[in-house]
Amino acid sequence: MPHTDGPAPELFGLEDVSFSARDRLILDGITAHIHEGHVTAVVGPSGSGKSTLLRLLNRLEEPTAGRITFRRTALSELDVHELRRRVGLVAQRPVTLTRRIDSEVRAGEAALTDDDVDRLLSQVALSHIARDRRPDELSGGEQQRLALARALAVAPEVLLLDEPTSALDPKAAQSVDRVIAGLTDVGLSVVLVTHDLRRAAALTDDALVLEAGRLIERGDPASVTYLEDA
Amino acid sequence: MNADNTANIPTWWGVAASASLVLVAIAISWRERLGLGREVGIAALRAFVQLAVVGALLLIVFNHGGLPAAFAWLAIMVGIAGVVAARRAPTIPDARHHAWWAIGVAVTSTMGLLLALGVIDAEPTVVIPVGGMVVSTAMVTAGISLQRTADVVEDQRASIEARLSLGLTARESFLEPYRKAVRTALIPTVDTTKVVGLISLPGAMTGLILAGVDPWVAIRYQIVVMYMLLGAAFISAVLSARIAQGSLFDDAERLVRV
Repeated sequence: MPHTDGPAPELFGLEDVSFSARDRLILDGITAHIHEGHVTAVVGPSGSGKSTLLRLLNRLEEPTAGRITFRRTALSELDVHELRRRVGLVAQRPVTLTRRIDSEVRAGEAALTDDDVDRLLSQVALSHIARDRRPDELSGGEQQRLALARALAVAPEVLLLDEPTSALDPKAAQSVDRVIAGLTDVGLSVVLVTHDLRRAAALTDDALVLEAGRLIERGDPASVTYLEDA
Repeated sequence: MNADNTANIPTWWGVAASASLVLVAIAISWRERLGLGREVGIAALRAFVQLAVVGALLLIVFNHGGLPAAFAWLAIMVGIAGVVAARRAPTIPDARHHAWWAIGVAVTSTMGLLLALGVIDAEPTVVIPVGGMVVSTAMVTAGISLQRTADVVEDQRASIEARLSLGLTARESFLEPYRKAVRTALIPTVDTTKVVGLISLPGAMTGLILAGVDPWVAIRYQIVVMYMLLGAAFISAVLSARIAQGSLFDDAERLVRV
């Protein structure tokens, strides 16, 4: 059953979006709207096209058909660097880019002050980590939270998170969940890819359900039947 | 050795006698069951034929072609070198064009500077052998630079895309991988320069000494050649990686799949 669009402004509009790569159809005719101020989950089994959908939203991929808008402007009409600063993406497996924690936070915004770095690390519950420590020495959960701080440093309007807890133990996953839950408190919108159906229901306001590249259902996580069947 | 200190050049009978060393290599391959005998024989025959053809052509160029023919010869060498260098990186789009540009600029700038300053003579007998050494070095560094660029694109795709996702430009996102690729390409040339003369005498110096030139004079030429090769290597390695970078990102600054 189609979800009735709420009153919040539209963030992303997807109009009949398809994506193919190497002769394989990965997304097929997706039409959906994602709204501001929400945590929107994109759920579905492995291979359903969830990560590809995220990569389309910040133009790391280009749809082979259809149109995507950000705040009602076609993505192709926006400066790509500005788009990627406004629409941050944190990939499934975090990568470290530098040799120091503070340099890592500054990777996208070199002009950050020490106070800014402290604030961001505090926001992701990493204020206890020494600033000169090597990022690759951190645990998986800490690296994921550091990647979130790095993405937050460029002051995005929306964060795209690709399975941020899939590789983490339950305790580390909870620490990341707490950070995600706090993001909308500071005015951020979140689009969260997950295959963990329970996590989707607990964290999010809206869910898009993909299967074999198609949008088969969407709505409030509490009422989406796909999630009930899990 | 002749009275004027020039070495005796082997006669054709001497060349035939030296073929016995090829037979030694074939015999060793057969004895040790290395399976390389046929390849050695073909390689030796090819070397003979190719050098004979090159020698005959050089005779024509030196006697009748002049400088235009010498520069045309260099241009052909650059063309072949670009094809060979690009083979190291078949996954990079337009690798051949990147290699041609890089090697061409390296050869033109280094040879051009030294010819303009009068450091080397503008004669076919100088331009072709010296230019050949520069082309060869530029080809090797361009090939390694392109190969390492292709490797780092795949090895570091995630970190490149993480930087792109922060709004950094393609150039900024590719800076560290580019530096790694170029450094790897240049280390052999730098190391060779450090130990030149300590392990074996380099080619230009060897040829000059065999021709009877005083060693103290021969080293001047060799030093010029070494510095020229160093400059050409850096230009070739940096240019090939920089130009290749342009074909690795599309208009929306997405990293292409190689």
